[in-house]
Amino acid sequence: MDVAMLAAGLHSHTGWGQFTSLHSVRMSRIELRDLTKSFGDLAIVDTLSLDIRSGSFVSVIGPSGCGKTTLLRVIAGLEPASAGGITVDGVSPRAARSHKRVAMVPQQPGLLPWRTVYENARLLLDVNRRANPAEATEPTALLHEVGLGGFLDAYPHELSGGMQQRVALVRALTLGAPLLVMDEPFAALDEITRSEMRTILNRLVEGRGVTVLFVTHSIAEAVALSDRVLVGSPRPTAIVADITIDLPRPRSADVEDDPRFVELCADVRHALHQGMKP
Amino acid sequence: MSKRLFAPLVGIVGFLALWEAVVRVGDVRPFVLRAPSRIVTYLADHFGDYASAAWVTAQHALIGSVIGLLIALVIGSGMAASRFAEHAAQPVLTLLQVTPFVAYIASVVLWLGSGTRPAVFIVALVCMPAFAFATVDGMRSADPAARELLASVDASRWEVLWRLRLPSAIPSLFTTARYNVGLALIASYLVEGGNFANEGLGAIGKRAAALNEGDALWGAIFSMAILGTIALLLLSLLQRLVMGWHVSQRTRPT
Repeated sequence: MDVAMLAAGLHSHTGWGQFTSLHSVRMSRIELRDLTKSFGDLAIVDTLSLDIRSGSFVSVIGPSGCGKTTLLRVIAGLEPASAGGITVDGVSPRAARSHKRVAMVPQQPGLLPWRTVYENARLLLDVNRRANPAEATEPTALLHEVGLGGFLDAYPHELSGGMQQRVALVRALTLGAPLLVMDEPFAALDEITRSEMRTILNRLVEGRGVTVLFVTHSIAEAVALSDRVLVGSPRPTAIVADITIDLPRPRSADVEDDPRFVELCADVRHALHQGMKP
Repeated sequence: MSKRLFAPLVGIVGFLALWEAVVRVGDVRPFVLRAPSRIVTYLADHFGDYASAAWVTAQHALIGSVIGLLIALVIGSGMAASRFAEHAAQPVLTLLQVTPFVAYIASVVLWLGSGTRPAVFIVALVCMPAFAFATVDGMRSADPAARELLASVDASRWEVLWRLRLPSAIPSLFTTARYNVGLALIASYLVEGGNFANEGLGAIGKRAAALNEGDALWGAIFSMAILGTIALLLLSLLQRLVMGWHVSQRTRPT
């Protein structure tokens, strides 16, 4: 069986000292140990433990309001954890954030209307310049790669929703950060554009060695993009299933016709239903 | 451009023609209402006097409102950054806005002397509150996704202010500027009439009113109207230049 159903609680509890060792820094981009995040009395994430290996594409899928976005914001260093241990790229999320080790793609593209496509793609490089990673690149080549070569000087209002989200992808990738966190980036797009974006995203991250943490509501999206799909339960978030996606890479749009793709989608769907049961 | 100027011209000419007709057909006595043709003729005869006075008034209004804007940007940024600062500043700004400034022109003239200084001071003072409120509203309207994004790479407060919050305030600042054009010109006019420098359209108007010279008074009023129209036109051009990216500036309705 490729489907490993693991309750989060069964995860072996390694000590804090152990997982900050050099070995794990190299092997893992994100490590959570009994992470808890609550707002007042409301626990959003409750003692969650998780390892995400370097260079892997991991999706978190779960019902609305299950705390996926909160988890993502904690990992991105935008929200402090209430309890438990967390390291991102070997350091605290706060430190990773200040060294620009985490590139974010929000649900809304968040393009600045007074900046051209090129200038928007540069935005994350233009602020906090001292922290720009050595891997940072000019966005021009990437913009050509996603088919926006003819729109470098266009303004966001002249672009379709899919094009705007492609600019947002380039804006994140151009930073050269080892970790990409994406919060339902294609949720507002139509189905045709979404499947186009899946192909583009696969092409962009394959071979780049970046670690991707991807939050989504779409089963097909999670399976088509990921090496591993984590299925979350309703709040407080627990991982009810950890499913390895063994579809070959590089993946084209045809991957969705693969019988194995259909099987994996069914696995994820079943796990989701299982997790919804009280 | 010629097409865009045509409609406003039709509006103005139509309005003046109606006015002229009312005065002539109704045989209205000149001290009640003058015919526009008579005012325009008077203005043409005294063009040099009015042009130099209008130039003085324009400078008072422009310098004053730019100073008011700059102060408002500082105050507004502070208010947008801190709720406490906002709540502390709000009543003071409102007080400035609702106080009839005519009441304290004499005090300001006694304090700052006559001439340009009191005019610029009062224009800046009366334009500032609306600009400050517009700054706060505009900055608060900054795209939350963009704010989150800048936070995710640890952008400094200054960078967020400069790259996101100030540009977000540009549309509301332009809207307020349209309203402040009238306020700035009227404030200039009234201060010029209330000090002893004897320069600007306000001084001409004040003297004409005192000496019961209707033609001279109406000449000053017409000059103010022309000045305001030119100011609004220049403001539109500036807006087009600065805000080409904004929804309001698109020629094609979408």
